Amino acid sequence: MESERTQEYLEAIYKRQKKDRLVATSLLAEDLKVSAPAVTDMLRTLEGKGLVKYRAGRGASLTVLGRQQAMQVIRRHRLWERFLTDVLGMKWDKVHEEACKLEHVTSPGIEEGLENVLGDVDTCPHGHSIPDRNGKIKDENSLALSGFQPRQEACISAIDNEDARFLRQVARLGLTPGTCVKVLRKDRDGTITVEANGREVAVPAGVAGSLLAKPAAAAGGVKAKEMPLSKLPGGHSAIISHCGGGRHALGRCLSLGFTPGSTVRMLENFGGGPILVKLHDTEVALGRGVAEKILVQMNT
Amino acid sequence: MQQPEERTIVVALAGAPNVGKSTVFNLLTGLSQHVGNWPGKTVEQKTGVLRRGNLTMNIVDLPGTYSLTANSVEEQIARDYLVNESPDVVVAVLNAASLERNLYLVAELIELAPRLVVALNMMDVARQQGIKIDAEALASALNIPVVPIVANKNRGVNELVAQIEQECLRPAGWREIRHIEYGSDMLRVIDRVAGMLNTEVASPYSQHWAAMKLLEGDEQINRLIRLRYPPDRWPKLDSYLKQNESAAMEIATLRYEWVARMAAAAQEKPHIGRVSLTERIDRAATHPVSGIIILLLVLSLMFGLVYSIGIPIQKFLEVNLIERGQELVYSSLAFTPAWFQSFLADGLLSGVGLVLTFIPILMLFFIFWALMEDVGYTARAAFVTDRFMHLLGLHGKSCLPLVLGFGCNVPAVLGTRIIDSPRARLLTILITPLVPCTGRMAVVAIIAAAFFGSQAVLVSMGIIVFSLLMLVIIGMILNKFVIRGESEALIMELPLYHVPDMRLVGLVTWQNTLAFIKRAGTIILLVSLTVWLLAILPNGRIDDSFLANVGRWFEPAGGLMGLNWQMMVALLSSFVAKENTIATLGVLLGGHGVDFTQQLRQLLTPAAAVAFLVFQVLFIPCAATVAAMRHETGGWKWPAFSVAFQLVLSFAMAVLVYQAAHLAGL
Repeated sequence: MESERTQEYLEAIYKRQKKDRLVATSLLAEDLKVSAPAVTDMLRTLEGKGLVKYRAGRGASLTVLGRQQAMQVIRRHRLWERFLTDVLGMKWDKVHEEACKLEHVTSPGIEEGLENVLGDVDTCPHGHSIPDRNGKIKDENSLALSGFQPRQEACISAIDNEDARFLRQVARLGLTPGTCVKVLRKDRDGTITVEANGREVAVPAGVAGSLLAKPAAAAGGVKAKEMPLSKLPGGHSAIISHCGGGRHALGRCLSLGFTPGSTVRMLENFGGGPILVKLHDTEVALGRGVAEKILVQMNT
Repeated sequence: MQQPEERTIVVALAGAPNVGKSTVFNLLTGLSQHVGNWPGKTVEQKTGVLRRGNLTMNIVDLPGTYSLTANSVEEQIARDYLVNESPDVVVAVLNAASLERNLYLVAELIELAPRLVVALNMMDVARQQGIKIDAEALASALNIPVVPIVANKNRGVNELVAQIEQECLRPAGWREIRHIEYGSDMLRVIDRVAGMLNTEVASPYSQHWAAMKLLEGDEQINRLIRLRYPPDRWPKLDSYLKQNESAAMEIATLRYEWVARMAAAAQEKPHIGRVSLTERIDRAATHPVSGIIILLLVLSLMFGLVYSIGIPIQKFLEVNLIERGQELVYSSLAFTPAWFQSFLADGLLSGVGLVLTFIPILMLFFIFWALMEDVGYTARAAFVTDRFMHLLGLHGKSCLPLVLGFGCNVPAVLGTRIIDSPRARLLTILITPLVPCTGRMAVVAIIAAAFFGSQAVLVSMGIIVFSLLMLVIIGMILNKFVIRGESEALIMELPLYHVPDMRLVGLVTWQNTLAFIKRAGTIILLVSLTVWLLAILPNGRIDDSFLANVGRWFEPAGGLMGLNWQMMVALLSSFVAKENTIATLGVLLGGHGVDFTQQLRQLLTPAAAVAFLVFQVLFIPCAATVAAMRHETGGWKWPAFSVAFQLVLSFAMAVLVYQAAHLAGL
């Protein structure tokens, strides 16, 4: 395992790197809060170890080996963040810094332990995918919220800035990952006004740039997968698009809030038994037969 | 107070299940409450009185409902009460920790209640969940007074009472209630339907409201209107409703959108990464494997307590009250007529008296049951057992009452109240007596030990498995052929876990125990005295009594399964309490200086013994269970059915088993 500093460099390059492009030395210096010459020195060392490709004056990119190591650190970082929020109950704006320290002192045994405790988790509390054991990561392919146009609907998938103050601001605006918004208008100064949680929220340009979002299913931007609620895998959220079934079951489902547009999260879905979902802040159990007649849309 | 004269007002408490409404009701009424049933329904009705100065509040606890569309009996009762009795003030009790879910009912109440006060309960739980609620902001968004309370800690209740007082002094409708905005499209459809109705057709509801419910697919309103509507014009209305079938979904969606706006104005939710304690517990408690293990642990704790505390107390009472009492009667009342001594000792003490010694066991079950309900575990147990119960056309909610039946069938029958579908509830009540209770198992154990020595345990287990197999088969038959109607799907909210309100648990236990004692004083008393009379008349000896005659009369039938009249009499006496089988046999066989076991062996062949066990375990429910069934089904029809079918079933099975065993050479 490489030194802590090496790991931090690899992580920083990974985060900045888009496709195969090189990451400029100045960007890295900014992210890592060190001087540009120090970055250049370190990149040369890393090149010697075969972890990065370095082009003087232009920047660096990760080699296959470098990428693998970066993924491992990122995986540990995100697992720790999950652990700190879910198990220790820490606030999501505090966990990034803690995880930055913990990620470097994590043995493979602890990593496996974290995974076992957390069970089936896909993302860190800030919405980023957690790489799997082999360093594979789900494509995040989301856009900054600032890139969306009026009348488009989007669901916030991740927050690209883990600064505590920034996260608190995001929480205050009610734009945490999983929230779906509708863009109402864009001002000239870049402020984007959206409808979220039933009210209008003005999002400053600086914030909108760091909120990653995916086009919402209903917007039709991305093909959403429609499926019966009974097919939604555990841990996933979806938006209800239709509530069917006999008169009686329908009436009860509607009064419990299985209305189109409501978000459900699947908690338990095993075999042929009943399912358990989270809906409007409470857990609701549904017989499988009923769940088959409720259609949901899950973002693909 | 401005008004010096006495005033009486009616206050109705409305709210969804799991919002702590019972606790609020108990706080308001104290012990001045009356528990009965809603007229013509088997749904519990609780009323009570609260006096403040010269104001008397009659408080009515409406059944817990999520909406006012008649999806269940409870919802129908709640809204009929609001419309027909028009209470002066309606208090909507909400759970602050799930505001969105609870505001839906408020959206419906706004249309029916002229004066509404919101009691925002469980503010402490909400805070623990990281939810911040601004009650004033909610009040101004709704334009309804909102009082934050923590009912189980008795906080905010005085403010609530003061608010009710203030509200009832105002003229109805003084406060302009903001109706839900259904949007012009939906309003057009509602108005169109309302236009097809007139006041008489819709009464006692308003045309607008009746139209909305018709569109929502409310079956009860639909039936009512159809009955009164000119038959020639009905098809037109009906086809218009069919055209707008999606209105039900749209109305509910619009209401939830309104709810989301109200909630957003007043509450700040924790960020999404936070996983609540309830959810963390439920990862284990609702998992198909670990959930079952947890359920088994909980149940073994319950039965462990019953066996280690309840049964010793019962035995202690039986020895010290009943047996000592009998000795006392014969020794100190020797100067009174013999029939009087027998009446006291054999009629009262060994009949009703014996039944009453089971109260400690029953109370343990009641306490445990109330605790599981109040903590929120019952719903989890129903969830994990749902997949098995489908076999019987039932869902998970029926499982726990049945399990309770292993202890005693009485709390099991009462426990079926958690089942919301009337059909599933009836079916569960009917198969409950097929669960072998401790009383029956005790008889099985004694008889099996007398006959099968080392294999007794195996035989006992076999009998119990057989009995449960019968339960499954009978359940399937009843489900298919006897009780009509579709089996209903499982749709249930899993409440947040919370610390139980011990006052509520105490109160529920007390009310259930009191009800049992009342039944013991009536039906069970009657049954035990009848059996006693039959046993001593006409000569004062059981050997040639009417009961023995009845037994002898049944002897030919008994012959089919190798049983003589003594065994038949013992079986008949088990109607008072299942344990009586052994006591009666003791009396019938006793007094000859021979060992009980020896005597039994002389009376029965092993094949007949097995037949007897089958007969006994499937035989008619005991008087206490029958009384509970009558109470819970609201009449004698189903208890009578149950007695009749179990009589036939037990007889047929016993004959079958005896003949089969005989052929097999036992």
